[in-house]
Amino acid sequence: MIIVGPSHDTAQGGHQAAGGRKSLKDMTKAERRALQEQKVKEKQGRMAAGLPGSAKKASEQEAHKKVNSPKIGSTSNLAQPTAPDAGKQAKKQQNKLNEVPWLSHLDPPKKPNTASNTNRDLHPAILALGLRFAEHKMVGSNARCVAMLTIFAKIIRDHKPPSDASFSRHIQKYLDPHIAYLLSVRPMSLSMRECIRWLKKEISEIVEEDPPLTDEVARNRLVERIEHFIKERITMADTLIVENGMQKIQNGDVILTYAKSSVVEALLLEAKRSGYEFRVIVVDSRPMFEGKHLLRRLVSAGIECSYVLLSSLYVVLNTVTKVILGAHALLNNGAVYSRIGTAMVAMAASDKQIPVIVCCETYKFVNRTQVDSLVLNEMGNADELVKSSIPSNTNPLSNWRDLPNLRLLNLLYDVTPSKHITLVVTEVGLIPCTSAPVIWREYK
Amino acid sequence: MATAELNNKSASDSMDPKLFDAAACYHTFLEDQELSTPVATFKVFTEFIKCSQAPTVTEFLQTLTQVGDTIQAASMYDAKEWKLPTSTRKRNPHKATIATLAGIHLFNQFVRRNTGDFTELEELKANLLARSTLILQKATSARDRIAVTGSQFVHDNAVILVHSYSRTVMSVLQYAANVENKRFKVYVTEGRPTSDGLTAVSELQASGIPCAAVLDSAVGFILDKVDMVFVGAEGVVENGGIINQIGTYQIALVAKALGKPIYAIAESYKFVRLYPLNQYDLPSITPDIVTFSNRRKSSSNALEQADESQSNDLALSNPSVDYTPPQYLTLLLTDLGVLTPSGVSDELIKLYL
Repeated sequence: MIIVGPSHDTAQGGHQAAGGRKSLKDMTKAERRALQEQKVKEKQGRMAAGLPGSAKKASEQEAHKKVNSPKIGSTSNLAQPTAPDAGKQAKKQQNKLNEVPWLSHLDPPKKPNTASNTNRDLHPAILALGLRFAEHKMVGSNARCVAMLTIFAKIIRDHKPPSDASFSRHIQKYLDPHIAYLLSVRPMSLSMRECIRWLKKEISEIVEEDPPLTDEVARNRLVERIEHFIKERITMADTLIVENGMQKIQNGDVILTYAKSSVVEALLLEAKRSGYEFRVIVVDSRPMFEGKHLLRRLVSAGIECSYVLLSSLYVVLNTVTKVILGAHALLNNGAVYSRIGTAMVAMAASDKQIPVIVCCETYKFVNRTQVDSLVLNEMGNADELVKSSIPSNTNPLSNWRDLPNLRLLNLLYDVTPSKHITLVVTEVGLIPCTSAPVIWREYK
Repeated sequence: MATAELNNKSASDSMDPKLFDAAACYHTFLEDQELSTPVATFKVFTEFIKCSQAPTVTEFLQTLTQVGDTIQAASMYDAKEWKLPTSTRKRNPHKATIATLAGIHLFNQFVRRNTGDFTELEELKANLLARSTLILQKATSARDRIAVTGSQFVHDNAVILVHSYSRTVMSVLQYAANVENKRFKVYVTEGRPTSDGLTAVSELQASGIPCAAVLDSAVGFILDKVDMVFVGAEGVVENGGIINQIGTYQIALVAKALGKPIYAIAESYKFVRLYPLNQYDLPSITPDIVTFSNRRKSSSNALEQADESQSNDLALSNPSVDYTPPQYLTLLLTDLGVLTPSGVSDELIKLYL
């Protein structure tokens, strides 16, 4: 997403100018008049100095000039090194400048700092995992969840409580910094949060056990529970989803899918193995091109495939009989939180009366309601949007960070409203997405 | 009853489910006009439990599955056809296969819920029978409960459109007229090809409710005069849509377009764990017209007067049920209360999870 030009109105600028004093409402008439006069004077001054009229824009330009001053660069990033050099600071400030202002509540993409002191007490396995998460070497909510839980099991197995505490009482305190570290490298997916909530519940149950469990028993039980969770809620669930989803695949189908989902891939491969005759259209989009991985595996399994980009969606839609999508989470209002672009695909398909099928394990059902994609989302690296095959010296956007009135936005997820989804395939059967809260309550 | 005789004939070979003629039993039960298909299915199972001689729990459960398969196969034929050898049988596409499926699902779930605690077969059988009596009692009172709930929606001077014949819809209308003394008028669609609507008209007239039959093709014409639409259901599917006699989908579409409320009236034992994506995704047989077979034969005689056999052909090559997606239904009036279409799934999850 590219946003050109000043994307905030003057009202916002005016409000910010008044911030720090009183809000406009609380002021007396005289005070307000004084403020107005002051602003007019300021504006005249700016005009004389050849700056733009709006206070906000001016301050931006001002800040842009003073970009080397380290004072401005105070961000609240947890992973901030203790002694930053000036160059780094400058870069950070510039990043800030090119951010989309109405999305400032979302964390910018982070770089893990493996060298910091705070990481000294962490298990090395979590550091390795953190790196893979942060660099997007490991993507897909199932893969991330399984990896995270496996590492937690390893940490729990390796954990030795100090002499003055029992395992059950210490493990929670010990895991917390690990969880915090994972959070600091990349925001967690909703399903990962759900997994951690479950793990914490398990730990608290172990603490409450009466008579208290011995360290060895408690440790084994926790590890066993985690392994059981992975098996029952993720691995076995996927097998069952494939089984349930097969009911809806028929000979002669043209199935459209978007980006890459591990369970959709398994479903399509299984359908091929069962001898169904069908065609697959993989829709993909910049900048991640995840669909290419799916495409490679489908083609090597001998499935007839087409590959188009999101922009040609409507062109291919006429022949499609079913749309099958993966999900990152299923929200309480029946909306699906998934890879950015999914909402467009679902909307286009339901516009053409094509059934939209979402494959989603029940552990991804979360107790959260979201009606748009902006309140909660994850920011990707905006530089990804600029990358292209054009050499950087001719790429018109290569110096985008130096353009003060240009903002690039690379969001990773979007929310598909429930009205565009025909059916959700879960391990407990085929359900309408409006039943998400019932399932969530059953499995809480 | 045929079942009892068959059972007495040979008590030695207890494992053969053919001993108990589930299909004959099923067809006998259905002769009772007031009995709905899922209930008849449920009753066949209870009859089977009474005379089953399976020695162990596992074998007993296996034979139950076989009985289910027999009933499902039998549900596609008339009683007369079922007696013929397999190769000469003619399927009747107008049989209520989905309602039978609902009955079989319901019974299987009922058994699954209750087997857990029993290792002794006799105890299990006694328990199943005791509980199934309760369930059947509840099922027979379901229609009365719906009548009470549904008649709240009928107001004085209302004009109601009813699609074809449905026992539940009839009970609602009769309750509203005779017990609650409401005055309303009813239009009934003819309900081709079975023309069950005409039965409904004569029944309503007998109870003194002013009513008139309209052609299936006149629904759009008459709907402007109508305040609400009542339809029955053969099956209520997972997403709250209904499977019902052909023509329901069209009526629902027209009602939606004209902004008239449409209420589906169904007993909760008709809820079935199916999730059709469109009209062609139903477990009943896909009719010939979808694939354009046999076209030439019928078009060659197009100019001649349609005789009996030809209109029969037409009825056979056409679908008997259609699927109405939930977004076209206003509410479902059931014995569990008044449900929104999405509420059906919640009830089904409660039942089957």
